[in-house]
Amino acid sequence: MTEFSPTAFYILAFMVVVFAIGVVSFKNLIHSALSMVLCFIAVAGIYILLHAELIAAAQVLIYVGAISILIIFAIMLTRHRTGDLKLFFSRQSWLALVFVAVATIVFTAVLGSANYRSESLAQNPEDEKIAELVFNSYAFPFEVVSLVLLVAIVGAVLLAKREKQ
Amino acid sequence: MTPLQHYLILATVLFFIGGWGVLARRNIILIIMCIELMLNAINIALVAFSNYSPHGAGLGEVFVFFVFALAAAEVAIGLAVAIAQYRLREKLGVDELHDMRG
Amino acid sequence: MKAAVVLIPVLPLVSFMVTLLLGKRYFGEKSHYLPVASVAVSWLLCMFLLVQVERGQTLDWNAYSWIAVGGFQVDIGFLVDELAAVMLLVVSTVGLMVHVYSIGYMHGDQGYYRFFAYLNLFMFSMFMLVLANNYLLLYVFWEAVGLCSFLLISFWFPKLSASAAGTKAFLVNRVGDFGFSLGVMLIFITFGTLSYAGVFDSETAVGGGMMTAICLLLFTGAVGKSAQFPLHVWLPDAMEGPTPVSSLIHAATMVNAGVYMVARSSPLFAESETAMLVVAITGGFTAIFAASIGLVQNDIKKVLAYSTVSQLGYMFLALGVGAWAAGMFHLVSHGFFKGLLFLCSGSVIHALSGEQDMRRMGGLKSKTKITYWTFIIGALAISGAPGFAGFFSKDSILAGVFHEGYYLLWAVGIVTAFLTAFYMFRLIFMTFHGEPRTDPEVFAHAHESPPSMTAPLIILAVPSALIGLILGLPPEDGHIDNLLHHVFAGVLPAEGGHGFGAVSALLMALSATIGLGGIFAAWQFYIKRPQLPEMVKARTGAMYYILYNKYWVDEIYAAVIVNPVKWFSGVLWRFVDDAGIDGFVNGAARFFRGVGKALRPTQSGRLQAYLFTMFIGALALLAAWVLLQTGQG
Repeated sequence: MTEFSPTAFYILAFMVVVFAIGVVSFKNLIHSALSMVLCFIAVAGIYILLHAELIAAAQVLIYVGAISILIIFAIMLTRHRTGDLKLFFSRQSWLALVFVAVATIVFTAVLGSANYRSESLAQNPEDEKIAELVFNSYAFPFEVVSLVLLVAIVGAVLLAKREKQ
Repeated sequence: MTPLQHYLILATVLFFIGGWGVLARRNIILIIMCIELMLNAINIALVAFSNYSPHGAGLGEVFVFFVFALAAAEVAIGLAVAIAQYRLREKLGVDELHDMRG
Repeated sequence: MKAAVVLIPVLPLVSFMVTLLLGKRYFGEKSHYLPVASVAVSWLLCMFLLVQVERGQTLDWNAYSWIAVGGFQVDIGFLVDELAAVMLLVVSTVGLMVHVYSIGYMHGDQGYYRFFAYLNLFMFSMFMLVLANNYLLLYVFWEAVGLCSFLLISFWFPKLSASAAGTKAFLVNRVGDFGFSLGVMLIFITFGTLSYAGVFDSETAVGGGMMTAICLLLFTGAVGKSAQFPLHVWLPDAMEGPTPVSSLIHAATMVNAGVYMVARSSPLFAESETAMLVVAITGGFTAIFAASIGLVQNDIKKVLAYSTVSQLGYMFLALGVGAWAAGMFHLVSHGFFKGLLFLCSGSVIHALSGEQDMRRMGGLKSKTKITYWTFIIGALAISGAPGFAGFFSKDSILAGVFHEGYYLLWAVGIVTAFLTAFYMFRLIFMTFHGEPRTDPEVFAHAHESPPSMTAPLIILAVPSALIGLILGLPPEDGHIDNLLHHVFAGVLPAEGGHGFGAVSALLMALSATIGLGGIFAAWQFYIKRPQLPEMVKARTGAMYYILYNKYWVDEIYAAVIVNPVKWFSGVLWRFVDDAGIDGFVNGAARFFRGVGKALRPTQSGRLQAYLFTMFIGALALLAAWVLLQTGQG
């Protein structure tokens, strides 16, 4: 099992956070969307560090490849004016900031001070293991999720249909 | 070898950044994007736990799979609703979309 | 015999139901056939029962077990003895006559079918009341006849005074019935049973106080139903009802129910001297009280109404001194001649197209001969003219009172007899004699009533004249005394009959003289020297005024009872119902509306507010859970 240096983690973590803040802060929606894409890629990197290559691949495929595109399409479809809204932040943004800051600090403190059972990396779970879990133990949720996806497709099409004039 | 806490703290920070965006921004599509950020944070936490636990390895990844699928579905529906609202009203400010009140 | 007993009430009941349901659409003007027929058959059966009873055959039969709960057992049962048979005689005969009379009197009335239906319902109720063999059944039909009385008094209910009179009758009766029901309950508590046989033959030792209480409570019922003072006020108002109703219910049958009930309960009353005294005094007082009011009334029916109250007083007087048979005798004769008198008055009213005020009558003698002569017979009967029914019955009462030593009450009775004769013949003279004071047009139109009305008059005149001779001879040992001897065997005064001695003969002569004296005085006042009434009125102005206003009893009741109750109801309405209950209910509604209004801002529709709340809530839950975990761990 390959070990990664902590440096890699810090770099990737930094990227994730920076781009996440970017998403939340940009006034221009497209800028936010692009920042989000970069954030996702960095998260994929994090997955690699965690020896979850399958997940990393899935992340890139699904989030970067599909969801982000979808969002960008939605943004394009709904841009009536180049400038979006006069007011970007809502009235309670300061309250939210305070709340979020407090929550982060609290959580970090809690998590940091907790005792963890093992400090070492476990084995790298092989893909076969994951596949075995999905198709044997969790076959039922798997089927249900596929149904959910079907419903989501139908629903999205129905919702976004244009009214016939 | 980075300890587990680091990943968890990362996940936490990412989660609350997304949370602040959800609460603080007005455009609904941006809110959906921030929700995706939060979901990612969750995924990171799940995978990290899965990685660091001796038994139950692989379970986190399985969960993450499902999260991927559901997140995709949710984004699709959410955007469809947003587009439908936009068509009706030409507004995407969340504080202007307050018809369902009483 | 059992079949007869069942059919007597059931026939009118069936007729009532059929007539009420089908009368309006299908019978119309012919609605009287079925009712009259059913009462006629019942009359025949009553005569049959009377014959059976004369032969000594009585019946105490529990036909149907009605209530059997624990120790409480009441059956639908019939008792046919001499007392019941005698009552049936009066009820069925007068009832049949009134039914026939109503064919003519109520002709053309809009509620023709309804009238006959109600009459039949009344006949059913009255028959059952008489035939009942236990107190509960008696009470039920006591109320039932009260209901029929109400329905029939307010028969012309669009007229406000008629509805009011009906209500008044019902309410005043209710007061009496309340006491009556308490009495019945006490009977059950004391004797453990409600059947006559059970109560009268009971060997339970009952304390004097309890017996007095029972009897007085039962008597209050009689006071209400038989319109004695102080519950007499409903009877004069009841004259708002059609005259056949006045005749049947308020002269001959229903008002006698009180007398019947007391007579029936003689074993109980005889045990309580106090109660007997109360009965006698109430009866005597009412007799003279009502007679004095009737002296100055101008409405022909009101005179007869007060006369009824007065005569009922006589009956109670008799019962109260222990002259049971005399009281019943007077009940029978009064039933006939009072029934007759009312029907005659109805004939007069009919002849004068609705006029009821005697000051606007007069000179009718030549125009309505049959009515006139039957009226005279009835008047002679009630005045105690020798040979007629009233003479024997009234005399036997007065003799009984005298012989028992109640001299003051005897004097009251004598004076009342004088007043009775006087006001009765005042009525006759004002109505039939002298110059007509009626509106000339009306007078020209005056005519004798149709045969359907005059036939009953003639038929009823016969017993009014003769029943005294049939039942009352020889005096104090007459047929009626013998007949009822069996019933009253246990309660006759100890001396067991006093024979017809010199004292009795003297008393008889005295009452005859008094009666004739009253007639003579009336003749003086209204024929010979018509200026007398005015003179007397001028001399005794205040007295006249008091009498004319009925001693203001109604007004006193209104001021002392009715208005305070109304005021109190108003208070209850305003404070308890409106402010209190409504306030409470509305207040509850307002409270919830207020709460809703306070909470509504949370439903702002603003997505981010919701999200925020959810966020905080989720984190709070998480924190709580973590704390719990660490607390345990």
